[in-house]
Amino acid sequence: MSAKAEALGGAEETKLSPQFHVAHHFDKADTQFDAGRMGVWLFLVTEILLFGGLFCAFAIFRSKYFPSFVEAHHHLDRVMGGINTIVLISSSFTMALAVRSAQKNEKKKTTLLLAITLACAAMFLVVKYFEYSHKIHDGLLPGGNFTAADFASGHPGIFFAIYFMMTGIHGVHVVIGMGLILWILLRNQKNEFSSRYYAPVENVGLYWHLVDLVWIYLFPLLYLVG
Amino acid sequence: MANTATVDELGHSPEVRGKNYLNQTAGVWSWLTTVDHKRIGIMYLVSVLVGFGLGGIFALLVRLELLTAKKTIMDASQYNQAFTLHGAAMVFLFIIPSIPASLGNFFLPLMIGAKDVAFPRLNLLSLYLYWIGAIFMLAAIVTGGVDTGWTFYVPYASGVSTTSVISATFGVFVMGFSSILTGLNFIVTLHKLRAPGMSWYRMPLFLWSLYATSIIQVLATPVLGITLLLLIFERAFHIGIFDPTLGGDPVLFQHFFWFYSHPAVYIMILPGMGVATEILATNSQRRVFGYKAIAFSSVAIALVSFLVWGHHMFVSGQSELSSAIFSFLTFFVAIPSGVKMFNWLGTLWGGSIRFTVPMLYGIAFLFLFGIGGLTGLFLGMLSVDLHLHDTYFVVAHFHYVMMGSTAIAFFGGLHHWWPKMTGKMYDEKLARVGFALTFIGFNWTFFTQFILGTRGMPRRYYNYLDQYQPLHAFSTYGSWVLGLGFLITFICLARSLKTGAPAPANPWDSATLEWQTQSPPITENFEKAPIVTLDAYERPAEETA
Amino acid sequence: MSTSHAEHDHGHGSGNGDHVPHVLPFKVYIGTFSTLLFLTVVTVGASYVDLGHMGNLIVALLIATIKASVVALIFMHLKWDHKFHAIIFVSALLFLAVFIGITMSDTQFRGEAEAIEAKNPVDLKDPFKAERAGDVAVPKAAAAPAAAGSAAPAAGSAAPAATPAKH
Ligand code: HEM
Ligand SMILES: [Cu+2]
Repeated sequence: MSAKAEALGGAEETKLSPQFHVAHHFDKADTQFDAGRMGVWLFLVTEILLFGGLFCAFAIFRSKYFPSFVEAHHHLDRVMGGINTIVLISSSFTMALAVRSAQKNEKKKTTLLLAITLACAAMFLVVKYFEYSHKIHDGLLPGGNFTAADFASGHPGIFFAIYFMMTGIHGVHVVIGMGLILWILLRNQKNEFSSRYYAPVENVGLYWHLVDLVWIYLFPLLYLVG
Repeated sequence: MANTATVDELGHSPEVRGKNYLNQTAGVWSWLTTVDHKRIGIMYLVSVLVGFGLGGIFALLVRLELLTAKKTIMDASQYNQAFTLHGAAMVFLFIIPSIPASLGNFFLPLMIGAKDVAFPRLNLLSLYLYWIGAIFMLAAIVTGGVDTGWTFYVPYASGVSTTSVISATFGVFVMGFSSILTGLNFIVTLHKLRAPGMSWYRMPLFLWSLYATSIIQVLATPVLGITLLLLIFERAFHIGIFDPTLGGDPVLFQHFFWFYSHPAVYIMILPGMGVATEILATNSQRRVFGYKAIAFSSVAIALVSFLVWGHHMFVSGQSELSSAIFSFLTFFVAIPSGVKMFNWLGTLWGGSIRFTVPMLYGIAFLFLFGIGGLTGLFLGMLSVDLHLHDTYFVVAHFHYVMMGSTAIAFFGGLHHWWPKMTGKMYDEKLARVGFALTFIGFNWTFFTQFILGTRGMPRRYYNYLDQYQPLHAFSTYGSWVLGLGFLITFICLARSLKTGAPAPANPWDSATLEWQTQSPPITENFEKAPIVTLDAYERPAEETA
Repeated sequence: MSTSHAEHDHGHGSGNGDHVPHVLPFKVYIGTFSTLLFLTVVTVGASYVDLGHMGNLIVALLIATIKASVVALIFMHLKWDHKFHAIIFVSALLFLAVFIGITMSDTQFRGEAEAIEAKNPVDLKDPFKAERAGDVAVPKAAAAPAAAGSAAPAAGSAAPAATPAKH
């Protein structure tokens, strides 16, 4: 533990994360941490299967209406999609580093990294906003709302149904993620996190990486191969 | 943690005598903000019983309408709403949360010697989500009803029906999260909070069944979530994924729905099997025969249940290849179910059986699940199902497994654990009368429907050919006996709260851990943290004798 | 702190005391980040090469899966975490594969029986008399002349009363 104390830079903190104590039904801190992480992993399973339904629909309708998918996907903006991919990967990177700095008791750095993550998430949503308004303007909309003219293939509406459902639900996850990141950022400001206790940072991080993971599939499937 | 208490010491000290989780704090607010798994379990219990009552009223109305071949009390569209609300209330408000969220919540931590579930606040959240979902569903009743059937099939639900489909499905969507969080909580609890010495193979088998149930809840429920979300968007915005006029595929909805809902029937039955195992073990006064076989068959059922959903879709227009695969795979579900059946019988064999009230329910479970499970195999046979699909044979099948097995196990468990939960003994005589009427009324009502089904009576019609009238009337009379049976059971249990004798810690002389603390338990469950030294269902007396 | 520290179930050594975090060196994060950026460029590049109906899809999925694995293993610490958490994660993918796979056994093969039935129509009034080619085991007597092995003509001769089959 002495190495940890040094990492604090000689701060006279008597105790790290003073508000933290092991909940009465756990035998020790490690059990509590492991339980939390296991819970989050199980939650991520549910997320994967939630998105899974849409991936299933994508697979089926792509093979059914291949020409429509190819034609429709040319109407997505690869540059914007690509920028968003990089933005999201960067946010994953800073999130992972935020967990690391929380582990190392570097409170200021944690705050900074979380703030950058938050900024990336916001930027992602701004780009998405431009993409969406462009699509809406052009009538590139799901199913019955599809009004864009001069499409050679039969069912582009189905492609846009899947596009909007997938990116929409993903976007909702980004918004929820921003809320969570803000929450731990504020708690970090109150000196709640340290090498002794950083589980919330780690768990929000896991969630955020999953949001990134989903996008890692969405980008090539929707924007690149169609 | 360092104390040397073992499970066979009751450890009641003067400090805790008279104190329990019920009187620890008082007031409605103390209940609404509690994180005690026992109080949450009790609130779930009350809620699911209200759901059961609601579903039951609709059931009696449905049966009453079918008393005569033409209109009896309602017209066609009212009838559609009545059976939909019956099904939806029974499935989503009652049977899915019934055993896991009420009895499971209460007893899972007790049975592993823990103080609480892993995430107590999450547990409370899942209760609130259940309530919120229920409110949306009930709101659908007053804002136009629902008439799609509990399965919400498209294109009827997404376009044609003029009822409050969105409110109802959104309610189910929210309740899905409640179910997921309960399952997640249980898995982590079982992994992380078992008392010292409580190895996996020392756990009571009820917990293995809850573990298997939780796996399904976590893996399958999200797919229901996305299904209902797509349905809501289809209805609100015509996104076209399920709409054939826009190039979508309505059969795809059925795949999505049954990918959840077939595994969900095991969310319903597995906990029932677990409760039955506890009851049979306690009242045969011996250790369960084939412990590991029962434990692993629960997990096997959970996994195999994901491979057979298409047996609900044999006439949907799915490919013949799929139908053949699903029919083939369906028979594999029967193997672990059969394994359980034989091990239960093996437990009874050579046991010294006591016919307590819970045991009556336990034996009824074996009998009724036998019928329900075997008729499931008839239906799983592709060529047979083409004739029986959407007839009363299917209705009878799933009532034998849902009502006859799960609900009977639930009420058996309620009688088994009632003394522990409330600290009161009930009037056994009256409870027996309630049981007898329930059992007779149930078979009266639903065995008749097997016959109706094989004769070709289709389900979900409010009038029918005259030739079916005698059997329909007979079934309706049975439903009155059944209703009376439940009414008596409720009266019996409710009366015990006022007039019942105080319950001892272990009234049934049961070997599992929840009976080693006082009735009702203190908020911390055990005065001294238990250290387990005995195998599952092993009694300390066995060692000395 | 070495990265192999957590191989043996990290934390359990610390007894009743505080949780001891497992900190990875900074260069691991940088390496991961650059790998992800690099693979993003690769996947965009690959989409400009025409590999056919399935080819592009497979390549895109392959690269995405590598990226996803890197994120899961390193950013999400799965590599150093309890094995059970990895099992949880992989089981999600497994069940998703089952879901998509079996559903497509329907959507990819619909309506195949209609063609077969059109070729070999059945007399609905007397379905069992009209044995279809391949339906029924060939009776021994009739099978003898068809020793050459083709079952279809044998079945035809075995059921002369059958509704005439087209072929
Ligand atoms: C031995 C295992 C079982 C098998 C092989 C089986 C098989 C089947 C089959 C093939 C059907 C479809 C019938 C049709 O619609 O034509 C069916 C319907 C049904 N089964 Fe089972 N089943 C089994 C156990 C259960 C259990 C344990 C439950 C619930 C606790 C259950 C609940 C249902 C329900 C609710 C339906 C009807 C759904 C609807 O269309 O509304 N089954 N079963
Ligand atoms: Cu089923």
